[in-house]
Amino acid sequence: MRRRQQGILTGMPFMANIAPRTFVDDLDRKLYLAKPPTRIVSLAPSITEILFAIGLDEEIVGVTDFCNYPPAALTKQKVAYSQPNLEALVALEPQLVLAPPSFLRADLLAKLEQLKIPTFVLESKTVEGIFGHIQLLGRMVGRAPEANALAAAMRKQVANVTSKVEGRPRPTLLYVLNSEPLITVGPGSFIHHLIELAGGRNAAERANAPYPRLTMEEVLTQNPDILLFPVGEYEGIPQAEQDRWKRWETLRAVQEGKLFQVQSDLLNRPGPRVIDGLRHLVKLLHPDVSLDETVDEPRP
Amino acid sequence: MKPTLNVPSLTPPPAALSLDRMSSAAERFNDASASSRMLTRSRWWRWVSSASVLAVMAFVGCLGFGTQSIPYSEIMAVVMGLVLAPFGSATEQGLSDATSVILLQVRMPRVVLAFLVGGSLAMVGVALQALLRNPLADPFVIGISSGAALGAAIALLFGLGISVGSLSALPVCAFAGALLSLMIMYRISAAQYGFSVYTLLLAGVVLNAIFSAFIMFLTSIADPNRAFGMYAWLMGSLTGPDWSTLGILVLYLGAGLVLLGMHAQSLNLLTLGEETARSLGVEVERVKKSVFLAAALLTGAVVSFSGIIGFVGLIIPHAVRLVVSADHRLLLPVAGLVGGVFLMLADTVARTALSPSEFPVGVITALVGGPIFLWLLTTRQTQLGMK
Repeated sequence: MRRRQQGILTGMPFMANIAPRTFVDDLDRKLYLAKPPTRIVSLAPSITEILFAIGLDEEIVGVTDFCNYPPAALTKQKVAYSQPNLEALVALEPQLVLAPPSFLRADLLAKLEQLKIPTFVLESKTVEGIFGHIQLLGRMVGRAPEANALAAAMRKQVANVTSKVEGRPRPTLLYVLNSEPLITVGPGSFIHHLIELAGGRNAAERANAPYPRLTMEEVLTQNPDILLFPVGEYEGIPQAEQDRWKRWETLRAVQEGKLFQVQSDLLNRPGPRVIDGLRHLVKLLHPDVSLDETVDEPRP
Repeated sequence: MKPTLNVPSLTPPPAALSLDRMSSAAERFNDASASSRMLTRSRWWRWVSSASVLAVMAFVGCLGFGTQSIPYSEIMAVVMGLVLAPFGSATEQGLSDATSVILLQVRMPRVVLAFLVGGSLAMVGVALQALLRNPLADPFVIGISSGAALGAAIALLFGLGISVGSLSALPVCAFAGALLSLMIMYRISAAQYGFSVYTLLLAGVVLNAIFSAFIMFLTSIADPNRAFGMYAWLMGSLTGPDWSTLGILVLYLGAGLVLLGMHAQSLNLLTLGEETARSLGVEVERVKKSVFLAAALLTGAVVSFSGIIGFVGLIIPHAVRLVVSADHRLLLPVAGLVGGVFLMLADTVARTALSPSEFPVGVITALVGGPIFLWLLTTRQTQLGMK
């Protein structure tokens, strides 16, 4: 987490209360919040989940169409997703808008700035980045203790998982984002990072883009042990398309019947539930590893 | 499509198209004399067989490129095995080997698909240019492809085209879309006498815009993941189909090609104008209808398998006409073969340049075809009859 670089005034007593209230987002934009905002709009499902997890509820006034977790999010006012309805957004009188950089159009950002609506951009590409965001958001909204506790618990759980899979052989996994044409996750994407954390090897690790259209030849060459299909409320590969993969009989995954499904929400939302996603991946990649030794913190 | 020795009097170089032989080099090549332009049986065979040899060479050449490098000796062994042994046994013995799966189940179907798609697009281009008497007609430029894409997008949205069984329904929807846009286009072009080349292009641009708007609307209401796949497909991509899927495509294309081939001679006369063609004994309405049907069938089938791949139907007919002949009995098969070769090469670049990723082949055809289109539009106006 970055803080404003402090200049010549560093250490001056009157700064003590001001400097910590200034936050720098992932686009390096500075934002000063005099007091914790009480009307917050989240423009990403992952951010919504973080906000609820650190104990906010009433403060959240607007969410996206895709914010379906926790159930309380469904009762909030919706402001679309990739093209948020600006009028609905302004009507909510937000004191803080939290947005992901992807899908956020530059003109929308400029418009919000012009309307003096504080906008803060968050982008997580790693699990460590999520912890940073949780703590940062905690400080912004005045829930630092809850946020720090959540981040610490998650850190511990991730460390527990990674220590258990360390040194084990790394099975190859292909995550089928789209079947025809084949689009998958490559280095630089969040899911690629999760696969590696879970002790797996991404079949597209040689690809040169975060979301490459991988050639089938590369898939057959890499010969993945596991095919993983995202399924979920808003997206997913239909069963018929999954079954078509069974024609590639030389793939180890097909021979051993390891065509699995995962709730896409667990993997593509860099939020608190990423632990569940990570555990799910470990179960698929290393079925013999037991993760149950530590007691799980109950999640809200 | 029977090559005949006589009927030179019925096949003068079609007015609009003969003007394409603009450069002196092309003139020299064609000897500029009526006798050498006359289509003879031996000339037909000479050109068609050399184009076929080119196609076979390109086919084997393209098989040698891919993410996985496979030495040519192995490729030749597998290809020879296919040619010599009965098909079934050859694939069966190779199935255990990952290399032969890559070669036989991934690369070869894809190269074959590229050939079929490229060839069909080029032949549709030839037919449309003759029918609309417009040298810049192309299924992509005048909006036929987007019509087909709209039909296919509707089918995809309602969940058709996912399994092999319903894959055969997808081309039908695309065919309907292509036919619709072709009808609109023809109504526009028939509405006024002396319809200029530019008007047709403008109408095509607008038709493209309308259909794209519908497609955009469909993708915006589709669920995100489906929309994602739809976008990827719309950009024009060839994937490795399995052989049974390829068989379905061949059925559709076969029907279209037979229909086109039957009317090759009539197309020659139609380029002279409908009145002239009618007075020379062509059943103009019937020919137009069946050529439209064939063009829509081919475009629909191709688009439903590979999305929108532009400009192949524009540049290939021009190149072939320049070098070979403007006689449709020769132009159609040679353009088909050369179009197939072109798309095989373009797709080989698309799937190897960023290996192990790939990018849509439509990118390459547009980058090659777009500038050629502009060049034709700006420098060859008088020769194209666009005054």
